[in-house]
Amino acid sequence: MDNPYSGYAFIAPQVLLLLIFIVYPVLKGFKMSLYEVYGMDKYFVGLQNFIDLFQDPIFVKSIFNTIFFVVAIVVATIVFALFVATTVYDKNPKYVSFIRGSYYLPVIVSMVVMSIIWNFLLNPSNGLISYVLNTLGIENVNLLGDTRTVMPVIIFVTFVGNVGQAIILYIAAMIGLPADLFEAAQLDGATRWQRIRHILVPLMRPTTIYLTIINIIAVLKIFVVIQLLTGGGPNNASVTMMYYLYQNAFIYNNTGAASAIGVLMFVIAMLFSLPQLKTFLKSDK
Amino acid sequence: MEKFDLVTNIIVFFLALCFLLPLFWLLTNTFKTSPEIYKMPPDILPKKWFTGNLTELFQGQPAFQWIWNSFVVSFLTSLFSVLISALAAYGFAKLHFRGRTVLFVLVIASIMVPKETFIVPLFDVIIGLNWIDTYQAMIVPNLATGFGTFMLYSFFKDIPESLRESAKLDGANEWTIFSKLMLPIVKPGIGALFILNFVTAWNDYLWQLLMARSKEMKTLTIGVASLQQDINPNIGLRVAGAAVAALPMLIIFILFQRYFTKGATAGAVKE
Repeated sequence: MDNPYSGYAFIAPQVLLLLIFIVYPVLKGFKMSLYEVYGMDKYFVGLQNFIDLFQDPIFVKSIFNTIFFVVAIVVATIVFALFVATTVYDKNPKYVSFIRGSYYLPVIVSMVVMSIIWNFLLNPSNGLISYVLNTLGIENVNLLGDTRTVMPVIIFVTFVGNVGQAIILYIAAMIGLPADLFEAAQLDGATRWQRIRHILVPLMRPTTIYLTIINIIAVLKIFVVIQLLTGGGPNNASVTMMYYLYQNAFIYNNTGAASAIGVLMFVIAMLFSLPQLKTFLKSDK
Repeated sequence: MEKFDLVTNIIVFFLALCFLLPLFWLLTNTFKTSPEIYKMPPDILPKKWFTGNLTELFQGQPAFQWIWNSFVVSFLTSLFSVLISALAAYGFAKLHFRGRTVLFVLVIASIMVPKETFIVPLFDVIIGLNWIDTYQAMIVPNLATGFGTFMLYSFFKDIPESLRESAKLDGANEWTIFSKLMLPIVKPGIGALFILNFVTAWNDYLWQLLMARSKEMKTLTIGVASLQQDINPNIGLRVAGAAVAALPMLIIFILFQRYFTKGATAGAVKE
């Protein structure tokens, strides 16, 4: 019979860290969202922080920007990663590893480095992209300084820096599939497109669901690309919920509002991750 | 090869090269003078490989200190994270105790909690501990996630129970079984987790930005990003900074490619 205490001893460091650095701050975040802070004093204001937020046009804009961002990234990532993976998964391993590596390198060098590079490339006065557009006859474009183009450009930069993760996962999942499935379909005369469309993509469903969820959460908390490329501008056109949280917390010193945004984002993230949580726990059985 | 297959492969191959272009731009421009970087149309390769940007980065900025900080923070984060995760994963996978399921749900749920959403109270916790501008502030809060535990859990779960029982009959205690018998078996998982943690810690931005106050405590990522916001507009220096921040990750990726696939798939569903 096991000593019942050794189990607790093994999990103690993990559980202790969780309690101090996740559980306690989350609970405190909920509490702080109900208070307004003036210098040293704080006052209980109930749901006033939330009411103020929804009457704040910048916050409302940040919600729409975030939704646009999330939907665009998730759709683009899934579609493009499926396209790349279904194209290469059954080819020569050397070729597969070259393709995988090329798309994955931007992920590895991090969003910070990628943002810096794109900042140079997109620079309106002497960046490479402005130069290329100029030679094509499109003059004086400032993609990051235009309220209409700034979100699509940020989304594109994020996409390039993130999609490699999804490609790696899809390729790994596809390589693990039994080959006879496709051989049978091929004998029946199915074209490659039909095999992808009717066999491969449906088989990838669990991976697709997983990627959708982790991408929703990853995009919710995206910060660096916005800070380094636009700082939320122009005219708040690229402010997301996360960036507004940061501004309220560490620039405007409005911790009540920041905590309220945090609570909203926390709830959204939890709602989206519940199905994933269930599959995680199923692997316990 | 079908025509459809040929066309898609050409597109995928061409786009793969496009994905490499920004990195190629970064690495080649590191060795150009500032006027050359601004020159349009650009030279594909530098005419003369200029090392002044790198010299200025390492002599005019505390870049060595930043690299050291990044290394200390990333290494210790990975090390402790792997250790804590392995202990907990073994506990949950192999030992029986009251409340095990509830605690396991708590640990798994913690993977899904984005730290950014409660960054304000978490920041208060660090102030309360008086940890601002220290290594421990950059390391310890990042150890508190269940991802490593979840990843190693399945590795431990796959080890047959009979192995543990026979060790027990030989009189080994729980710690000996864990450290001498079980840990060596899950080595591949530990390696993948270590590298994954290392890269994540090296590339971390928001948290290290909030924790590092003095120029000397900045990690490389934060230091390099701060060069972007400097008033001194030396583009060569800024490009070189970004390249130096990227290089260790490129090397790690080339050396340990297979671990990344393993790490990436660890969280994925396997139904």
